[in-house]
Amino acid sequence: MSQGKRYSDEFLNAFVDNQLASEEKSRAFVEISQDENLNRQVCELRKMHDLVQHAYRVPPAPPASTNTARGRRRISPRFGVAASVLLLLGIAVGREVRLPISDLQPPLAEVKTTGNAMTAIRGSGATASPASVNVQTAKQPSVLIHVTDNDTSRLNQTLDDIESLLAYYHSAHQEARVEVVLNGRGLGLVRADQSKFARRIAHLQNKYKNLTFAACQNTIDRLKREQGIVVRLLPGVTVIDSGMAEIMRRQDQGWAYLQV
Amino acid sequence: MHKILTVAALMLFTLGTGLGVAQAADKPHKAVYHLNSADIETQKDVLRNANNHISAVGKDNVDLRIVMHAGGVSMLRKAKTDESLKSQIDELKIKGVKFVICKKTLERGNIDYKKDLYDVSESDLVPSGVAEIALLQEKGFSYVKP
Repeated sequence: MSQGKRYSDEFLNAFVDNQLASEEKSRAFVEISQDENLNRQVCELRKMHDLVQHAYRVPPAPPASTNTARGRRRISPRFGVAASVLLLLGIAVGREVRLPISDLQPPLAEVKTTGNAMTAIRGSGATASPASVNVQTAKQPSVLIHVTDNDTSRLNQTLDDIESLLAYYHSAHQEARVEVVLNGRGLGLVRADQSKFARRIAHLQNKYKNLTFAACQNTIDRLKREQGIVVRLLPGVTVIDSGMAEIMRRQDQGWAYLQV
Repeated sequence: MHKILTVAALMLFTLGTGLGVAQAADKPHKAVYHLNSADIETQKDVLRNANNHISAVGKDNVDLRIVMHAGGVSMLRKAKTDESLKSQIDELKIKGVKFVICKKTLERGNIDYKKDLYDVSESDLVPSGVAEIALLQEKGFSYVKP
């Protein structure tokens, strides 16, 4: 196949970065899934992409030293003592009050907006770093669903689960990423010769652009080696090197994991 | 200068209150058990595992949720007529375990939680069991699938 030539590196990068228009993306999906070389190329790019994202996930540390110096100059030790007492008093009150966690958000948000006051206090010896508390909340919800079974009624249930998950996030106005990893017998869900759900999968892929089905290369290789089966996948299904490795990578990146 | 200090003091107090609340609400261990199987043996495994989990770390140290959807919800249907299942569930609830039920599953299966299921109230329901499991993991819960 000569499809590899038709896609430039820029195009493939845009594909991996999810920056293509949905029509273009679904066309690329189909062609990539049918071309082994292209598929591998995309797989490599995706790995690189993940590694890069992973590397940048830890936010750079704030320039604490300069703030500390400035804070010290401005505030006398007496205020440091007073600040510590206040903080302890606050903690004590907080423990007594026992508000539900959701009530925490407004005060924390307030603290964050008064950055100058905070840095000054930090310099006076109080141990508090509110910045780290709120970092996580803005994250895009990402869920990995691991399918290992090929039982029809369970697969039907799995697709129901995926659909209700996507519908839930949609109704909450969030664009969730959902990756369905298929290995072992679970591969049957996306095998062109076995799947009873080709239509439903096509429909879901069409409806939710952040939904991917990822088949395990190890399982595909094993079927070839042990049973001489050349696996053909449904359109739009991507291939990953190893289902288990993918599960670990994704969890490492903060994805939620569910086995169904 | 005075103004800034007053604001700073207020903020500090608020922060402390926040930290105190966070400490009180956050138990050191958090785990979500995923139950989607209609198989009674798997369902009993979940209850047994949860019980052992609590024995291992102490009930005051763990926030444990059992999220049921699809076939998993049938455990509470069986509990209506099964005394030993009932007592196992009660025991876990006394130890602070929360049983969480997927509303979607109830709708799909035409299940009336007040009539058909054992000891379920409105506050035990979530819009999507699968989404709840994902959300809890985002909040630092470990995932357990017996």
